[in-house]
Amino acid sequence: MKSGLVRKLLLGAALALPMLGGAAAAQAEETYIFVSHAPDSDSWWNVIKNALKDAAKDFGVKVEYRNPSTGDLADMARIIQQATAQKPAGIISTIADYSVLEGPIKDAIAKGIPVITVNSGTAEESKKLGALMHIGQPEYDAGKGAGERAKAAGVTKFLCINHYITNNASVERCQGYADGLGVKLGDQMLDSGMDPTDVYNRVKAYLTAHPDTDGILALGPNAADPTIKLLRDTNSAGKYKSFITFDLDGDISKAIKDGIVESAIDQQPYLQGYLPVAFLVKYVKYGIIPASNVNTGPGFVTKSNIALVEKYAGEYR
Amino acid sequence: MAAVEQAATRPLIEVKDVTKMFGPVVALTGVSMTVNASEVHCLLGDNGAGKSTLIKTLSGVYQPTEGQLFIDGEAVDFASPRHALDRGVATVFQDLAMIPLLSITRNFFMGREPAKRKGPFAFIDMKHADAITREEMKKIGIDIRDPQQAVGTLSGGERQCVAIARAVYFGAKVLILDEPTSALGVAQTSMVLKYVRQVRARGLGVIFITHNVRHAYAVGDRFTILNRGRTLGTFAKHETSLDNLQTMMAGDKELQDLTELEGTI
Amino acid sequence: MTDGVTSDKVAQSERILKQVHDERLRRQSRWRKLLQHPEFGALAGAALVFLFFGFTAGSSGMFAADGILNWSTVSAQLMIIASAAALLMIGGEFDLSVGSMIGFAGMMIAIPMVYFGWSPVASTAFAFAGALAIGFLNGWIVVKTRLPSFIVTLASLYILRGLTIALSILFSNRTIVSGVKEAAGDSIIPALFSGVAFRPLFVWFAKIGVVDQLADGNPAVQGVPAVILWALGLAFVSHVILTRTRVGNWIFASGGDANAARNVGVPVNRVKIALFMFTAFCATVYATEQVFEFGSAASDRGLLKEFEAIIAAVIGGCLLTGGYGSVVGACFGALIFGVVQMGILFTGVPNDWFRVFLGAMLLVAVLFNNMIRRRVTGER
Repeated sequence: MKSGLVRKLLLGAALALPMLGGAAAAQAEETYIFVSHAPDSDSWWNVIKNALKDAAKDFGVKVEYRNPSTGDLADMARIIQQATAQKPAGIISTIADYSVLEGPIKDAIAKGIPVITVNSGTAEESKKLGALMHIGQPEYDAGKGAGERAKAAGVTKFLCINHYITNNASVERCQGYADGLGVKLGDQMLDSGMDPTDVYNRVKAYLTAHPDTDGILALGPNAADPTIKLLRDTNSAGKYKSFITFDLDGDISKAIKDGIVESAIDQQPYLQGYLPVAFLVKYVKYGIIPASNVNTGPGFVTKSNIALVEKYAGEYR
Repeated sequence: MAAVEQAATRPLIEVKDVTKMFGPVVALTGVSMTVNASEVHCLLGDNGAGKSTLIKTLSGVYQPTEGQLFIDGEAVDFASPRHALDRGVATVFQDLAMIPLLSITRNFFMGREPAKRKGPFAFIDMKHADAITREEMKKIGIDIRDPQQAVGTLSGGERQCVAIARAVYFGAKVLILDEPTSALGVAQTSMVLKYVRQVRARGLGVIFITHNVRHAYAVGDRFTILNRGRTLGTFAKHETSLDNLQTMMAGDKELQDLTELEGTI
Repeated sequence: MTDGVTSDKVAQSERILKQVHDERLRRQSRWRKLLQHPEFGALAGAALVFLFFGFTAGSSGMFAADGILNWSTVSAQLMIIASAAALLMIGGEFDLSVGSMIGFAGMMIAIPMVYFGWSPVASTAFAFAGALAIGFLNGWIVVKTRLPSFIVTLASLYILRGLTIALSILFSNRTIVSGVKEAAGDSIIPALFSGVAFRPLFVWFAKIGVVDQLADGNPAVQGVPAVILWALGLAFVSHVILTRTRVGNWIFASGGDANAARNVGVPVNRVKIALFMFTAFCATVYATEQVFEFGSAASDRGLLKEFEAIIAAVIGGCLLTGGYGSVVGACFGALIFGVVQMGILFTGVPNDWFRVFLGAMLLVAVLFNNMIRRRVTGER
């Protein structure tokens, strides 16, 4: 039995070797590594993964997407350190938290690896790190924009559905919304969890307990989709003057058409995947790079401009 | 010879009129018995006769409702098995208090490991412990090549012997053996019985609980028969016979069936 | 004549066969003896993993100085909690609150420092005291109620994680408490937990070219991170306690059969409570290292680490049922985990495959251990 097991182990290794061996051989080509902070369960990043695939194909380079499986930023720091040790042509990273990632990113830059920051984080932080540029959407400003829209719609009491409470960027969005609305952020922020059933029930409980709520902010599809279902199930969409969500997917764009969701804040993630690769490739090759940062959002997707968005929702939009 | 005689008549442990009740259930009534040094005292009885209640009372797991225990003539009340152990009454239960995955040495010294100081730290003196274990087992005639081998690799009889050897080594005066041969084959049983004799020769008192009269008769000096919580009396070996014991143990009712089956029991 | 030759040959070949057979028998028994060490499975697994990545990622920088630093740091971190988890598991209990404890301990350090202006020494001492108290409580509830530790510490998992989030929101209105580095100043604590050792040695390494040199003249690897020394230190202490002291024997006994152990006078309850406290202590070492390395405490720190610790211990040969296992094995388990986790990135395979790998390895490890236990106990 023993020797049988060892044989199987070796066999397994032998079978897996060519697969990985192929990958190792491919390493000779120019490699770029994209490190995100998102846990595995966050489906929004699929658009970015698609963008990375497109960019890899368009520029004939290898682009690898990496993330900490639980979303733990300390793990993300290790992944950046790992990427540095691999000496890729360039690293693209989010700045989920400056203090955590400062060391690893500065280290990568010190070792001569060009870095572009994307998505989370601010332009100032990016500059402080010594990154080439920042491509993203200022979270607080985007939240504030949503808050101002909600104020215009007459919202007084709101609910901010936070499916990713441990990520600081999501708290910033709620804070921005509250500031845009001109109210103090207190218990309106709901820790909904990621599981659709949890989100559904927790939102339901909150709205039942706070019947005077008239505005909803969802921080992403994970928070928005179950909420849309809830409003459909209870036929109560009309109660809320403004339902704004961050980001887009199939359910959200349908809800926009049906008038349940007023608008979706689109940070156009495709650009956050495609552009940094494009810029890095050209930087490595010719040493050219735009002189300023790129804001990919916020853009608001509403009933009026949904048609084009809908076609590619969840894939490229 | 005279000294041995004298020692043999000194009761190590004495049970006087012990009654144990669990709520309305009377498990033991007026049970009395004595165990002398260098004596194997067999406690016989069918299932439900009160054997295990009696040993648990003797070993400090239960406290008697009425009656008194004496050790070396001194009245004692055992609050716990640990307490009984401190007074030299060691019980080898059927589960043996052995951990199969641990080595023989670690089991042998479990809870009483020999320590050796090194500066501020105390370590187990494993060499010493191994040597003692090997030696003690050798005395019984079990040659363990590697005292670090797991107890689980030993046979049932060998395990029983390790448990007994452990109790003896740690200074038991009275050894209570709970059905030590019940799960063993012929060869293993004879190994355990031989060892029980050896323990007696060292001057310990042994209480041997069994429902197998043959095993009891092979090593016993005196026999106490329990039936439905009462003693049917204590008999010295020369006062009784195997048949006699068997008959008493089963009670008159089953006598007829027994004579038919005798050969096979 | 020819017959004679043939029969000679037959006899000879029989003799050879017999020799071969005998030799194999002997090897089997030696092999078996090796198998009886609980850490053997993990040791073999680690060798296999290194072999595997040597082939697939050998040229990727995985085995250059900063590559080694990367996976050894990750392994060392896990080793800290895996050693404790192994002891606890051998003692017959689980602690599912290790991950939450890491998050909570981080907050216990960061909040007093950043918001109350405590010194790093005071707040770190406070965190350790708090963690030991929580560990005590975990253990006390388990031994008093006799509930499965799985359930009790699952409750702690939620309570501590919830507290971590609630407290960070309460104090900072964010889920990250930053500014620890600034608040710490030049205290000894950061150096103790997140500094590097043997720096001059590595400067010299860089000079002679063993380690890459950066443009600014610094070596690519500054030294051995404190976390690695902590991990090795804690693992060594745990190993010595387990195998060389009375307490170690009590741990085995408590996990093997608590009743039997009690009957021979082992203080089972005290042993178990102490193990829970040690686990909390190690989680706090982990947290302290992280807080001072990254300069912040966050509410998602340590997420799922309890399972990684248990996995490492199981890969390392600890039985889920208790009473058997080794700290050395758990350390190899942590090494396997860290090397696979990081190594798979070096190979360039999408890291979606990491879990597939890990799951497969866990399964192999458990099968292996199960088999070994059967061999050891002789059960069929």
